[in-house]
This record gives sequence, C-alpha cells and structure tokens, in this order.
Amino acid sequence: MVDAARQPNITVKAYTEVERVEGFVGNFKVQLREKSKRVISSRCNGCGDCSKVCPIEVPNSFEMNLAPRKAIYVPMSQSVPLKYTVDMDACIHCYKCVEACGKLNAIDFSMEDKVTWEDAGAIVVATGYDHFDPSVMSEYGYGRFPNVITSMEMERLNNSAGPTAGDLIRPSDLKNPKRLAFINCVGSRDKRYNPYCSNFCCMYSIKNAVLLKQMDPDLDISVYYMDIRTPSKGYEEFYDRARELGIHFIQGRPSLITEDPGSKNLFVHSEDVSLGKVIEREYDMVMLNQAGIPQPDQATMSSVLNIVQSPGGFFMEYHPKLRPMDTPTDGVFLAGACQGLKDIPSSVAQGIAAASRAGRILHSDKWEIEPTVASVWEDRCISAQGKQCGLCAKACPYGSINYEVGKAAEVVTAKCHGCGGCVAECPHNAITQLHYTDAQLLAQLQAVLANEPEKKILAFRCHWCSYGGADLAGTSHFEYSAKERGLRVMCSARMDSDFVYEAFRLGAGAVLYSGCHRQDCHYITGQIVGATRAERLTKTFDKMGMSPGRFRVEWISAAEGDKYARVINELQKVIDGIPPEKLKEEIETLRPQMEQRARRMKEAPRVEEAIEFSKRMVASMHGEEVAN
Amino acid sequence: MSHSTTVTFADKVRAIPGGEHLEMCYSCGTCVSKCMIQQKVEPDYNPRRLIRRVLLDQVEDAFTDPTTWMCSACDLCFPACPQKIHISGVIGAVKQLAVAEGYKSPLETVKVDDKLCSGCGVCVMVCPYEAPHLVEKKVNGQMDRVSLVDKNRCMRCGTCVAACPLGAISRKGVANPDIVKQIKIKTDRTTSPKLLIFICDWSLRVDDDLRILESYPSNIRVIHIPCSGRIDPQMAMLALRSGIDGVLVCGCAPGECHFKRGTNVGSCKISLLGQMFDQMDPERGGRVRFIQIGTQDRGRIRNEIDGMLESLELMKAR
Repeated sequence: MVDAARQPNITVKAYTEVERVEGFVGNFKVQLREKSKRVISSRCNGCGDCSKVCPIEVPNSFEMNLAPRKAIYVPMSQSVPLKYTVDMDACIHCYKCVEACGKLNAIDFSMEDKVTWEDAGAIVVATGYDHFDPSVMSEYGYGRFPNVITSMEMERLNNSAGPTAGDLIRPSDLKNPKRLAFINCVGSRDKRYNPYCSNFCCMYSIKNAVLLKQMDPDLDISVYYMDIRTPSKGYEEFYDRARELGIHFIQGRPSLITEDPGSKNLFVHSEDVSLGKVIEREYDMVMLNQAGIPQPDQATMSSVLNIVQSPGGFFMEYHPKLRPMDTPTDGVFLAGACQGLKDIPSSVAQGIAAASRAGRILHSDKWEIEPTVASVWEDRCISAQGKQCGLCAKACPYGSINYEVGKAAEVVTAKCHGCGGCVAECPHNAITQLHYTDAQLLAQLQAVLANEPEKKILAFRCHWCSYGGADLAGTSHFEYSAKERGLRVMCSARMDSDFVYEAFRLGAGAVLYSGCHRQDCHYITGQIVGATRAERLTKTFDKMGMSPGRFRVEWISAAEGDKYARVINELQKVIDGIPPEKLKEEIETLRPQMEQRARRMKEAPRVEEAIEFSKRMVASMHGEEVAN
Repeated sequence: MSHSTTVTFADKVRAIPGGEHLEMCYSCGTCVSKCMIQQKVEPDYNPRRLIRRVLLDQVEDAFTDPTTWMCSACDLCFPACPQKIHISGVIGAVKQLAVAEGYKSPLETVKVDDKLCSGCGVCVMVCPYEAPHLVEKKVNGQMDRVSLVDKNRCMRCGTCVAACPLGAISRKGVANPDIVKQIKIKTDRTTSPKLLIFICDWSLRVDDDLRILESYPSNIRVIHIPCSGRIDPQMAMLALRSGIDGVLVCGCAPGECHFKRGTNVGSCKISLLGQMFDQMDPERGGRVRFIQIGTQDRGRIRNEIDGMLESLELMKAR
C-alpha cells in the first residue's frame, strides 16, 4: 500500500466517495466527493501531536471498539496516507489540536467537502465486504454474554499491534482463557440470514486455532463445524496440521450457548454428529466466526456504476466461469470480495486480472464492439414528437439508450452489445439493428415460407443458445423433422412479435420461439424481455383460437441438442395431428387478424426492396432465370 | 431436468402438509441439541437421524424410531434450523403415516375414568394436541357421553388432569393422589420458611440447575411435574393450608413450552391465584408465584428461590 501511494502514476484518494459515473468505456466521467478531513493533507506530516492533546476519547472502530481513539485520529498506525482526520461527531471544538499543530498550520475547521469530476478510461471496483452482526442470533448471546466474541474481535485480541499487544484476554475478567470454542458458519449457510457459504471462514478459524495453539500449547481449542471446506492448494494439509496439534474439531452446529452467571464461563450445547449424542462443554471464551455480507451501500454503488447484483447482494460478474472479473458494463471491472466472498489468494488473483483488463483499455486507441448494434431512425421516433414512450430504454439491459421526451431516443453505440431487444420492442419500427434489420429478417421469413408453408416449422433461434443447440443436434446426428426452417437472431429479445404474426400470416404450420435459459442469457436480461413477449403472444394466439401447440416457447441451451431435436419432432407431431384441410382452413381464418397485427412492419424502411430480393432468391432456388 | 416416477417414502412424507423441505437437511444437529428429549428422556431420540431414515427409505426403522412418537411439537428447533425445515412437521408426517400403517404410540398416556367423567369437555378445550374427544359409550349399562383420549396424539403433559373438575383423568406418576401425598409429607421442625416448588421437567435445561435444587435443605421441597399446566390451583391452596409458607411454580418461557401452550395455561391459573392472595392480604403478598425460565437462563432458578425465601422470611418476621 505504501509502495502504491509512492508510485507516480497512482493517486490515492482516501476518504473519498464515488457519487456519479457517466459516460462509457474509455470515456468515463466520475464525480468524487472528497470528504472534509478538517486537516489539510499537503501540510499534515502525521506526527500525531494533535492527537496527544485531544481530550476526547471514543471507541476505535478499527480495533472493533476494544480500544479508544481520540477525536482527531488516524484509523491505524500503518494508514496510507498517514494524514489525520477530525471526527466531527465527537469533537467538542476546544481547538487544542490547532494549537498543538503550531507552525504546520494543517488543521482547518472551516474545510468543506470537495466535489470534483475526474476522467477515467476504466473503473476497477474493489469495495470489499462487511461482517454479519451475530447479535441478531439470540441463541449465541453475542452482546449479552461478555465472553462471546466475533472473529474480528479475536483478530484484534491476538494481534501484536492490537489493543492488548497480542495478549489474549477475555472481556469479563481480563484473564487469559484456557478453553476456547470457535463456532463456524455464524450467519452463513443459514437460510434465516445468508444462505451462501462465506468461503474463507473454515480456513480462517483453523488459522486462528493454529496460531493460538502455537503460542500456548496448553490451550484447549474446539472448532464446531458443519463441514470443513478446504478446497485450495495446501489447505487440506493445513487442516491436517491443526488436528495434529491437538485442536478438536467437533462436527455439530451449536444450538445454544448458556452462561454461568457467577464465573461468566460459557457452555456450548451441540450434538456431536459422530457420537449422535448431545454434548454440553464448558469454555472460557467462545469465538463466533461470522459470515461475510455485502457492503451496506452495495445497492447504491450498483446503481451508480450501472452494474448488476447477484442474488446474495454481491456484484454480478459478466460470466461466472469465463469472465469472472468483468461486468456487463464495458470498462468496469470487479476485484475481490465485492464480487463474491473469497480469500486473499483469490482476491489478489482477481485484482491483478482486473488491473490487466483495465490496462488493455488504457493502452488501446480503439474499442472494438460487435457490429450488430442498434441505431435509431430519428424521424420515426415518437419521443421526438413529444410523446411518452421509452420502451426501448426499458428493454435495454445495458442502459445504452438515452431517452428523453422531446428528443429522439439515442443509442450510445459504445455501450450497445447488440441484443436487439429495443428494436423488437419499438412499436413504431424506429430502431433497427445492423445486420438484423426488419427488412432482412422479413425477407428471410418470406423466403423460407415460400412453398407449402403449412407443412413447415419455423424456428426462431437465439444466436448464443438455441442456435448452438440446433447445431449440436446436427453434429450429434440427432434426427429431427426435415420440415424445420431455422431463423437466427442475436437474442430472444430480438424476436419481434411482428415476425411471429407474419410467419402465421404467411401460413406457417408451427412456430418455435426459442432462446437461452433465463440464467444463461448472453445479454443479462434479454431473455426476460423475450420471455415476457412470448407469454403475451401465447395468450393472444389462445384467444384467437389457434390450435394448441402450433406456437411453442422453449428455452434450449447450446448443450441441449437432444432437447432441440425432441421439441422439433413434437412440433411435427402437432402439425401431423391436425387434418390438412382443417389446418388450411384455420390459417385462412386467422390470416386477416395476423395481417392486421403485422401491418406496421411493412412500413419499416427498405422492406419493399428486401421482399423483392427475397422473391428473386426463391425463384432462383427453383431454377428459374432471374434478371439482375 | 428429469423427475423420478417412483414414489419414495420421502415423497409420501413431503406430500403431507408440514413434511416439505426435508431433503434440505444437511445434518448439522442443531435440532438434536436444541431439543431436550435426548438429554432428559430418550438417548435414541434424534430428529436428524429420523430425517435421514426417511430420505434413505428406511420405512420400518423410521416407524419404530422413538423420535417419531416422542416429539411433542414444541417447535424449539424450527426457528433454530438453518435450513428452515419444519422438523416437527416432518416428524408429524412420519407419525401420521405410521398410524395409517397400524403402528401404535409406545407412550403411556393419560387415562380417563369413565365412571367419574361427566362429558363436560373441558379436557377437549385445554389439550394442546386435540387428543381427547367426546364419545357416546356404554358405562355401567347405560349410554353416556365420556371423554376418550387418542393414544397416538396424547403427549402426556397432564394439562387435562389439572383441568378436569371431577378428577376423572389421571397420569401415571403424577396423578392427583401422588402429588397430594408429596405435599403432605411433614417437614422437620424449623424456624426458616417452608417453600414448595413445583418444577416443570423441561424448564431447567441443564443438570447444573437441577443440582442447585438438590443443594437446598429439607424445608425447600421440590415436586417434579411434567408441565406447569399440570398444576391445579387447589394444590397450591392445599400446600398453604398444610403449613407451607410459599409456593413457587416454575414453567418454561412463553414460546418455549415443551407442550406447546401448557405454560400459558399454568401461567393463567397460578398468576391469577397469586394475585388473589395478594389482594386478599397485601401484608402477606407474594406467597404464590409463577416464574417462566427460558433456555438461556442458566442459574436463574437459584436467584428466584433465594429471592422468594428472603421475602418469606421478611413476611414471617413481621
């Protein structure tokens, strides 16, 4: 940390909050609020004279409130930068510190917060995690029984720089405890509080137990656990060593801690799962190994940075296996426990990975994106005419559409990933997606349904999952109906309802609407946009009186080739199950309704041209002479 | 995802309301140690193991497991379970299946004397388990309405025994005559106040607290009862009449009663009685007390007894 602060290309902005982030990859603008320390950083030399004369003492939160600090303080002696801060909640304005500072004249009580805008090419988020407060678990008595402490308090108590200079004492009578119990999974793997495993606590309690046992081999240490999880290199060996040292590992989650009112000794009630018996053991001190939880302002940060939170509350990575340090917002990267609880080696690895990802942006002049981005026909956008709409902005998972009534919607191309959700959602065909324009897709539709459409199965497949699924069905030689005709779009969000109406208007026998499973969507929430639309379509077709099964919605991943083949075969069965005359009659009855619903698409630019082209394609397929 | 088509024992348990989510159990043992049955009564009692038996299709073992029959559904374990499994619900579901298969509860339950029973139905109202119900039955050659106790439901808390106005219900070991006999034992002549403690079997979790009770001299007499709901106010009055200075009834904390709501029944009766005495004779108030001891109140019983003795001594000195 000291080295980082000395590096000329690194500026450390301590006591500073990120308030707003604007712009996009390579061109971020970040609003910072540098909170007033009441000490001028450039003048303060960290001598500490001010702190010595300060008459106010308050609990030191860095020492887990086990030691006091003054109202003018540094959190710890190794703080970087070593600049003092006035705690204005505690200060009584005696100004003794100003006197003590003397000629340096570093203390300025009139100082105010400084708000600045900084340019940034890339952002690495490393906001860390917080600790679960075990006092809500009344069964463990934290807060009521003085000798029940948390792991962070233990960390300070056996730290040689801590308040007791490393002498482990228990709070009730300041004597050295002889019998210690560590309880794992306090607040984690617990559906009442946090269902997830906190990842590092098993190793953490083993570390603490080994440290203490090495300092005093006479200590009786028991670790209560449900499962000991030691999955990384060398961890299991460390666990072995702990057992060799004579540390007891008791499998069984304690249900209760009781305290002897006289001696303040603690009794841990648990089942020993190996014995199948309830045991009650007496200890001098109990350490609760509390869970890690997201920072209290994690949700605020997630909206400031426009990144998503996973179900546990931590920041969501772009892809859990392949891009664990990226976020869906290009140019914003994650490092450490803010993305998910992890131990030091993993945090370091992720931090370095995120830094090199960020470096890649800083070292290049250009940022390459997929060419399938969206663009707006400004003259068609009703927002420009002063009408409320904003459907495109609502459908965009990346916040790349700036929408404001009175102005045409604007796509920030650098942020757009090309799912096409906005294009399909726009009721006025005012947005188009390069390479997947309405005209192009319409032309394909008309071409594949040119002959005997009532015998065809039209399958809309998303590029990332269902298309891969169909591909796998092919390479794996899974047989499915040859009447299937596939149509690729980037995401199920791009599957415009107009396409489905048009397909049925043209007389398609059956239509499959398929994309990724919800959790697998390549475009974060694109599938949700598509799924909502598909649900609406299913209801509409039901009301119209379409034979059940002719419109089908299935989520098929790239690994589910067998499912793709099965679904297509089932659709074939649906078509075979309806007598041909009846099917034709149904298509004819529904055609006017379909035509009515799909009418707007014909208004999209260049549709005429595309249809003309598609007709020529069909003709050439049939070996007819086509004039250029 | 594929779903199995065969119906397992676990599926049958899951199908009964309350039996859901048992597959989430990861055998942490919280329920086992939160529950007091294994420590106090039955060493083979183990809800975690019963869930395992259900999951592994060990039907016979599950039906004969003491856990199936001894759980009193106090639900101390439910709020403690990190997987939010309603354990007593699962056990209840297994029990329901066992009863359907013809298995019978091994517990010795309360007995109704048909000749004394008037069919008033107080026991039906007071029972936390809906065990007694009124039936038409031939008694002494005549058709009569009497209470009949479902043996598979009764957890033998004795709340009905105390509530029965005719003394028609009895529970082995703590029938009315047994308790009266204990109250009437003559104590040694002593000037210090005589205190009678009715202690619920479940309110003192740890052996240390039970040893505290034994540490007092003979002027402190302790009568063990299955539940504070078992106490009839008449017993307290009988004790006072037979020369005892104070009566302390000790039950579980609200919400921690081993028999769901026995402590509430006891609390209503004895607290009311205590208040009556206090109002009749404020000078000699506090002679009947009801206290509720929680699972974490280790050592509190000593303070309560000492406090009561102190106030009785002051009363005597006046």
